[in-house]
Amino acid sequence: MSIRTILIDDEQPAREVIKYYLKDFEEIEIIGEFSDGFTGLKGIQELKPDLVFLDVQMPKLTGLELLELLDQPAQIIFSTAYDQYAIKAFEMNAIDYLLKPYSKDRFAQALLKAIAIIGSGQNSPAPVQKLVKTLDENPEYLHRIAVKSRHKVSVIPIEDIVYLEAEGDYVMLHTKDSRHLKEKTMKYFEAHLDPSRFIRIHRSYIVNVQFIDRIEYYDKENYAVLMKQGAKLRASTTGYKILKQMLNM
Amino acid sequence: MQHPVFINKRSVSVYFGLWALIMGVHFSVFYFIYLFPIEITIGDSLVNNLFFCIIGISMWFVVRYSVPDKKNIWNVVFNHVAFLTLTLVVWIGLSITILNAVFGNNKVYGELLLNTIPNKIFTGSIYYVVIALIYYLYIYQVNLQEKIKVESRLREVLKETELTMLKSQINPHFLFNSLNSISSLTITDPAKAREMVIKLSDFLRYSVSKGAGTFTSLENEISNIRRYLEIEKVRFGDKLNFSFQLEKEVCAGHQIPVMLLQPLFENAIKHGVYESTEQVNIEMDCEYKDGFLELKIVNDFDPEARARKGTGLGLNNIRERLRLLYKNDQLLKTSVEGTRFIVLLSIPSADNIEKNHKT
Repeated sequence: MSIRTILIDDEQPAREVIKYYLKDFEEIEIIGEFSDGFTGLKGIQELKPDLVFLDVQMPKLTGLELLELLDQPAQIIFSTAYDQYAIKAFEMNAIDYLLKPYSKDRFAQALLKAIAIIGSGQNSPAPVQKLVKTLDENPEYLHRIAVKSRHKVSVIPIEDIVYLEAEGDYVMLHTKDSRHLKEKTMKYFEAHLDPSRFIRIHRSYIVNVQFIDRIEYYDKENYAVLMKQGAKLRASTTGYKILKQMLNM
Repeated sequence: MQHPVFINKRSVSVYFGLWALIMGVHFSVFYFIYLFPIEITIGDSLVNNLFFCIIGISMWFVVRYSVPDKKNIWNVVFNHVAFLTLTLVVWIGLSITILNAVFGNNKVYGELLLNTIPNKIFTGSIYYVVIALIYYLYIYQVNLQEKIKVESRLREVLKETELTMLKSQINPHFLFNSLNSISSLTITDPAKAREMVIKLSDFLRYSVSKGAGTFTSLENEISNIRRYLEIEKVRFGDKLNFSFQLEKEVCAGHQIPVMLLQPLFENAIKHGVYESTEQVNIEMDCEYKDGFLELKIVNDFDPEARARKGTGLGLNNIRERLRLLYKNDQLLKTSVEGTRFIVLLSIPSADNIEKNHKT
C-alpha cells in the first residue's frame, strides 16, 4: 500500500526536513509540494492525498483556514513553530501536531499514528474534547474569515462584514457588495467574533455595530435595525436590550 | 524630621539672631519713645522675648504632630487653640509676675504692665501664628522635595523597565523557525548550518548583551540587522531581498538607541515576506539633515493580505521609546505608496540634543 502525501510549507528548508525523515518510510509517496495556502488547497482538492503535512503560518491562507475550506476531510499532520495553534489543530481532528524543530523519533511517532489510522480506513481520530474546551475559555477573536465560492477562495477581513444571517445549517456572511455561505453555526460566530464590534440582535442575525444606520420601531415591543447598505433586520427583545446598552441609548 | 532650628549652626544663629533683633526693636521703642529707664527697658524686652523665643522652639513639636489633613483638621485647630491659650497664660502670667516683682516700684511701669494685657494677648497670638506658619511652610517644603525626589526616581525606574521590556521582544516564532532551518541544513549543507548557528548566536548575543537605554553606532545596529535578514533569507530563499545604502562618512558612526531598528525589519518580514508569495525587497537608506539622522526603510507587501493587519504594537513601541529618549513624538512616520510600505525615522544627533536642552 502506498500513502500519497502532500507537503505544504512556505519554507523550503522545512520541507527538506520532512522529506529527509520520510525517506525511511517506504509506503510514503510524495505527490506534491506547495508553498502557500491557496496552492496548497488547490493541490489537496486536485490530488486527493491520503496524508498532508501542513504548516500553519503561511501567506494568503493559513493552514487552519485551509482546513476549514476543505470539502472532504484529509488526514493532517501539523508542522509549525508556534504552539498557540495546537489546541485549534486538535479541534480540527488533526492526527498530530509537530513543533519545529522536531526529532526523527517524534516525527516517526506521528507518522506511525498516521499510517495506522489510514491503514484502518478510519475517517479521522477522535477529537480531543478537553483541549477544545480550553480554547473556548480563551477565545481569540477572528480577524478574517476564509470563504469559497465555486471556483474561488477569498479571505474576508472582519471589518468588511456588515452582518451575518442564519441560513439552515450554514451562516450567510453579508459584506457591502457580496454574500458568502460559510459552513459554521451562529453560535460559533457569536463566540469567536469580538463582542464589542458584533452583536447578536436576533436568533438569525449578528450585526457589525459599525454598519448600523438607525434603529426603528417595528411593531409592539419589536424593533428593526437598519444597516447602512440597506438591509432591515429584526431585533429580538433581548437583542434590542443588548444593542441599547452597547450604543448607550 | 529634624527640628528646623537645630539643623546646623547657621539655622541656630538665624533663629536667635531674629529674636535678638526683635528684642532690639522692643528695647528701642520702650527706651526712645516711652522714655523708660534703661534697666526697666532691658528687663521688659529680655523677659518677654526670651520667654517667647523658648516657647517658639517647643512649638515645633506641636506643629510637627498636628499636620492637618482632611480628616483631622478640627483636631489640629483644637491642639493649636489649647497650646496658644496655655502659652499666653504662662507667658503673660510669668512675665508680669517677674517684672512686677523686680520693677514694681516704678508706678508708671507697674500700671502699664497690667493695662497692656490685651495688647500682649494680641502680640503673643501674632508671634504664635507667624512661628507656626513658618514651621508648616518648612514641613511642606521638605515633603515636597521628598516627593519630587521619589517621583523622579520612579520615572527613571519606569523608563528602565519599559526599555528592557521593549527590547526583549525577540520573536519566538522566528527563533524556532530558524532552529528548524538549521536542522534542515545539517542534512543538506552542514557547513551552511554551522554558519547559520554562528549568525544566530551573534544575533542573540547582540540582542541580550546591550543594556537598556544604551546607544550604539548605526553601523553596529545595521550589521546585526544584516545577520537577522541573512537568517531569514535561509528560510525564505529568493523570496526575500534586501539592500542597504549607507554613506559611510555621514551615517555609519551615528549613535542610535540599541535595537531600535530591529522591530522595523521584523515588521517588514512579518507583513511583507510572511504574507506574500511574490518576491519582497527591503531597502534602507540614510542621510544626515539639519542635525537629524534620517532613515528610510521601504518594503514591498501584498495589499490583498491586509486582512492580517498587525496591532501596530511594534511601531507604537518604537514611538514610545523615541518619546522617552528624545522627548519628541514626531520622530517616526509611516506611509504607503502602492505596494510599498515606507517608514521614515529621524534620530536627533548627540549635539542636536544638547542644543535643544540648552535652549
